[in-house]
Amino acid sequence: MSALSNCHVSLEQAKSLVEFLESGQQEAADELIAEIQNPINSELFAEIGKLTRQLHDSLMNFQLDSRLSDLATADIPDAKERLNYVITRTEEAANKTMDAVEAIFPVVDTIQGQIETVNPLWAKLMNNKLDVAEFKSLCIDIDALLTNTGNETEHMRSLMTDVLMAQDFQDLTGQVIRKVIDLVREVEDSLINMLTAFGITADKALEQTKPKVGENLVEGPIVNTQARDDVVESQDDVDDLLSSLGF
Amino acid sequence: MPEGALDKNMKVLVVDDFSTMRRIVKNLLRDLGFTNIQEADDGSTALPMLQGGDFDFVVTDWNMPGMQGIDLLKAIRADANLAHIPVLLITAEAKKEQIVMAAQAGVNGYIVKPFTAGTLKTKLDKIFERLG
Repeated sequence: MSALSNCHVSLEQAKSLVEFLESGQQEAADELIAEIQNPINSELFAEIGKLTRQLHDSLMNFQLDSRLSDLATADIPDAKERLNYVITRTEEAANKTMDAVEAIFPVVDTIQGQIETVNPLWAKLMNNKLDVAEFKSLCIDIDALLTNTGNETEHMRSLMTDVLMAQDFQDLTGQVIRKVIDLVREVEDSLINMLTAFGITADKALEQTKPKVGENLVEGPIVNTQARDDVVESQDDVDDLLSSLGF
Repeated sequence: MPEGALDKNMKVLVVDDFSTMRRIVKNLLRDLGFTNIQEADDGSTALPMLQGGDFDFVVTDWNMPGMQGIDLLKAIRADANLAHIPVLLITAEAKKEQIVMAAQAGVNGYIVKPFTAGTLKTKLDKIFERLG
């Protein structure tokens, strides 16, 4: 009966209703009934209105979350491409640099060899112990050394420029990685929003923060060694740990 | 250790899935005088090479697709013909648990990446000094 508690039919209204019905004024009777019911209806309408708004907002939120599907179908594949680009560029740079360095090693070896050839006679010359035949031989060796060094320094300069230019990946990969970081941040926000919508607070989610380690314990380079106590920070730490194990 | 005590003609196998890292290690070893160096890109490629050839030393990464470095180490120690080969791990894996695990599996040296040429030389000298 509580539903009717705020619905009051006065004696006056009841009498009027009977009068209307007795006198055949059906329309007037209906109107009176509607008037009596009106308070309930307006509350009901208000409630329906509220629900409709909530439903509308929820649908709008779902539309916002369609960004999630964009992330999954477009942005994340794009990010994978970008990261592959980083791998390619850094690999190219490493190889270009090592090409140059490997080309410089034999040049240095040759020059070092020629210097070693010249050295004994040169030492004799400095001590005034060189005879004429040796002097001629020394001149030929020094001539070869100077010619070779002259040519090779030019060659090495160009190889070192190659090493320098191979470092241009840093700028490009830096920009690409920054974009991927932005994407990761957006995905993170979306996921947190979704968790919030399901009633899981970000704080609660953050409680279990330790990232899972892959199969066979492998984790790759640790980027936050200072913040963790289960990893070593340097080669010295490795050596200490191993020596504590009797190594 | 006296100069020249280390046999620079020993046959070395460098195992890493990244060709650039293999190249770096090869260059460093070459700079230390090693000339007989071969490469493999993971444990499952390395193991048959080791079984088929008379290798004297293995330098391996840990994290590789296929057979991992730690499993290669265990396989080497489990094979009577290979068990004597010294194994040096050069890896980015830096968890204490892993270092202990490698030690228990019988590793001869453990270098964490990034590393220096000096570190490599020190560890090599130490490994072969011990083996006498």
